[in-house]
Amino acid sequence: MLTIKNLHARVEQKNILNNLNLAIKPGEVHAIMGPNGAGKSTLGYVLSGREGYEVLDGQVDFQGQDLLEMETEDRARHGLFLAFQYPVEIPGVSNMEFMKESVNAMRQHRGEEPLTAAEFLKKAKEACKQVQLPLDFLKRGVNEGFSGGEKKRNEIMQMILLEPTLCILDESDSGLDVDALQVVANGVNSQRDGKRSFIVITHYQRLLDYIEPDFVHILANGKVVKSGDASLAKQIEQEGYAFLGLDTSEEASA
Amino acid sequence: MSAWLQQVIERGQGIDDWLSPARARALDALSNTSWPTRCTESWKYTSLTALEQLDLTAESAEQPSTVEPIPGVDGLDLVFKNGVLQTDLAQLNLPAGLQITSVQTTSAVQQVIATTLFSQIKPKHHLFGLVNDALAGDVLFIDIEQNSHIGQPIRIISLSTGGHESHHRVLVRLGNQAKATLIEQALGQQNSLSTGFTECDLGEQAELEHYRLAMHTGEAIYFGGCHFCLHHHANLNSTLIGYGSQLSRTDIDIIHNGEHAKAKLNAVYLLGESEHFDLHSTIEHAKPNGTTEENVRGIVGDKANAVFNGRIHIHRDAQKTLAELNNRNLLLSRRGQINTKPELEIYADDVQCAHGATVAEIEEEALYYLMSRGISRSKALVMLNYGFIQELINQMPNQQLAQWLEPQLRARFKEMEVR
Repeated sequence: MLTIKNLHARVEQKNILNNLNLAIKPGEVHAIMGPNGAGKSTLGYVLSGREGYEVLDGQVDFQGQDLLEMETEDRARHGLFLAFQYPVEIPGVSNMEFMKESVNAMRQHRGEEPLTAAEFLKKAKEACKQVQLPLDFLKRGVNEGFSGGEKKRNEIMQMILLEPTLCILDESDSGLDVDALQVVANGVNSQRDGKRSFIVITHYQRLLDYIEPDFVHILANGKVVKSGDASLAKQIEQEGYAFLGLDTSEEASA
Repeated sequence: MSAWLQQVIERGQGIDDWLSPARARALDALSNTSWPTRCTESWKYTSLTALEQLDLTAESAEQPSTVEPIPGVDGLDLVFKNGVLQTDLAQLNLPAGLQITSVQTTSAVQQVIATTLFSQIKPKHHLFGLVNDALAGDVLFIDIEQNSHIGQPIRIISLSTGGHESHHRVLVRLGNQAKATLIEQALGQQNSLSTGFTECDLGEQAELEHYRLAMHTGEAIYFGGCHFCLHHHANLNSTLIGYGSQLSRTDIDIIHNGEHAKAKLNAVYLLGESEHFDLHSTIEHAKPNGTTEENVRGIVGDKANAVFNGRIHIHRDAQKTLAELNNRNLLLSRRGQINTKPELEIYADDVQCAHGATVAEIEEEALYYLMSRGISRSKALVMLNYGFIQELINQMPNQQLAQWLEPQLRARFKEMEVR
């Protein structure tokens, strides 16, 4: 599905990713944990193709294609989805219009007919219910005035509608209470079908109680310093990152 | 004195009708007007060179000038073509309380009323307003009796076609507690010159929903004006949509002439290619307790040029005035230009007043968010920019009109976004 080799990237002249390696097979769930400034969010942005995130070295193969050569929108059309840590508010563009354009861009890429307004509305309503957002959220401006939890659920709703092959969840649990966390986790779990892969970026083990990972990777100073199974996340929860012998002074400044 | 203005005065002197006294005053003012140059403050960013060089003798293919109905808007349509009223007013089936007459058919009684409006609301300093005073051919007088609520929107369409010069005038009187909707649509794209000025008097507690669609494009030169006088508790909700042409300017004046009057003015301009659009607005708060909310948003792409000058003048007696003026612009191209100037002049000490003007470029973060969902860059630009003005379009009380406008505005974007 996704193979990252020797990835180096920088933002604003600052090296963030240093020799990052990661391989993800279809159907797998990989959790990425790590201290602040480790490069977790940067990884999500680099993979989705955000402007200003400069790749210095390395390769990323996504389903047999060179991901780094693709435009942002093409990566999405090929099935890569990033659930934002801080979803952007866009007043004036309705959530409905936004998602319909988006879903139809995917369909067009697959050579399918665009959905009619009625067909889309039906799907959107179902997805809206699934993440327990009131239906009037479809009519509101994209993320406009949404609470933190509502924004996260809106991201999951988009994921459900877009049916990506690789989902990157960037701290989809941050700022959520237990109920909202469960809604987000249920949304994610409903999309696990043995083929779709997930990268779950999180600070806390808590989310992983709900979304059980196949692998847990610890990212520090821009590279994977330790990989293991779900028990690694539990160990971190109990002991912190200290046992990995990380240079905490650099962490704090990063 | 420019040669162009000289011939206007000569032609104006040749017109003899019941408006002659008013025309004479305008001609007198024009004779004493110096022709604007780039040093004239109110014309600093709008050059009149295109007008000076205008040649209407050039051949241009006559374009079909059909008037499309607006779906869902059962309008009472009045059509001017090159300044000449095409609609047979006698054939109109008017609701009770509404009278529409043209200068030729106006009765002596109405002439007296019309004279109290003609050039009485429009300030004297508008150069092309004076030109319109002097040359206006068909003057339409819309009279709405007090307490009459006219549900059917009155739609005035003025078409300009190639090789023509035209000047039309609309006078509107809303009696006390009267209500009406006025849609003014001006369009044309060929080599032409047109002026269209409207003066509206809103009686006590009268309510007017007003739209000015300044849709001249291409070679058409257009000077428009909307001038409102608001009496006690009168309520004006006005929306302006501006396209640009080689030379297009609209002046808006709102005078709070009674206490507790409310004015809401939303304006949107959307310019591409080398279009020019100039909007000057002046709100005069002459009486206390008035409210003004003015939102002006513009998008400028390609080599287009937008000018906005918004002035709010709060007179000494206009205590407890609430006035807000906001102008936001989005510049899509490095070659485009936006000149904006909000002005507040406050002589009363107990008022709340705010103003602001911004010129922004595309928000990269929002663009990235849309693209990360598979939406192409150009499509995302259209969506984002349209969102910027959609907020004002959504506020239009007549949503059928808004829905009719939407695809046209979007189409303008798409043309603008060729990268």
